[in-house]
Amino acid sequence: MDPAESLRAAAAGDQTAWQAIVDRFSGLVWATARAHRLSRDDASDVAQTTWLRLVEHLDRIREPEKLGAWLATTARHESLRVIRHGSQEQPTNEPDLFEAPDDDTIDRLLLDRERDGLLWRAFARLSDRCKALLRLLLSDHEPSYEEVGAALGMPIGAIGPTRMRCLDTLRRSVDLQELSR
Amino acid sequence: MTDKAATNGEGERLLGELRLLAADVDPVPGEVTLFANAALDWRRMDAALAELLSDSLLEQESVAFARSGVTSTRAVTFRASDLVVDLEIHDADPGLALLGQLDPPAKAEVHVQRDDSSIVARAEADELGRFRLELPAGGRVRLLVRRESGPPVETSWISV
Repeated sequence: MDPAESLRAAAAGDQTAWQAIVDRFSGLVWATARAHRLSRDDASDVAQTTWLRLVEHLDRIREPEKLGAWLATTARHESLRVIRHGSQEQPTNEPDLFEAPDDDTIDRLLLDRERDGLLWRAFARLSDRCKALLRLLLSDHEPSYEEVGAALGMPIGAIGPTRMRCLDTLRRSVDLQELSR
Repeated sequence: MTDKAATNGEGERLLGELRLLAADVDPVPGEVTLFANAALDWRRMDAALAELLSDSLLEQESVAFARSGVTSTRAVTFRASDLVVDLEIHDADPGLALLGQLDPPAKAEVHVQRDDSSIVARAEADELGRFRLELPAGGRVRLLVRRESGPPVETSWISV
């Protein structure tokens, strides 16, 4: 997808071009809101507002090649607005990647108790910073560091080393759980 | 392969496994995808955009207010090339009261539109550009401003 081309076509009303943009960046926008620890309801609100913002700005994105970073920045600002506005209480029974699951949740999602449970628990044990960063990296179409930096308000230079450190912690936590089984 | 490369490879493999897990546990909701795909219908045809310039909700002071439990007024400003719209949003039990000011002052018709296309409030701005609107709280809205001269103006969407 060429963002400049797609933006031009979408601004002229080309639904196919618009859909290509949505497909490409939908995961990034969603992950940005979820990395801010918003509930699924609040994250939906943020994602929808972010897409409306892009429609408003179709003809005024100055650097089309940075469209992903623009969307991530917008989703981050909207997430902060929701946090400051006082979001609704977190519904307790919705699956949350950031919290260790119980067996019921794993069964309900038709996951593998052993392997998926182990991975999920290891992820949930990471620091908040690691979870936020990795949640971004887990979106489909793995985002660029520029997009991740925009989504989390993190300096780009910090992303590589943090990623390595977080994955290292994750790996050791998985190894440890495997040993103790 | 060095040890370091081997551990990196292992980390990347775990990331791949986690990506599959995240797709199961935390997918983008279908309603969000539907909304996003349909959002192109909201693009401006003949109106000018009044862009969100500032929102006190996004500034630090209002956080302190919110935490201290003091009800504060939310101030929002939109700017188009030839028009500034200032809004004060007050809690008015029930719902919200919006006090607005157009700059430069002009008589105008002001509508509040929700993101399901419905018009939830309307008012006339007087010759000094002032208007007052009442609407239910919650949801996403924008203002549509039609002056006696000049193109119609649409503001950015805000959540209220």
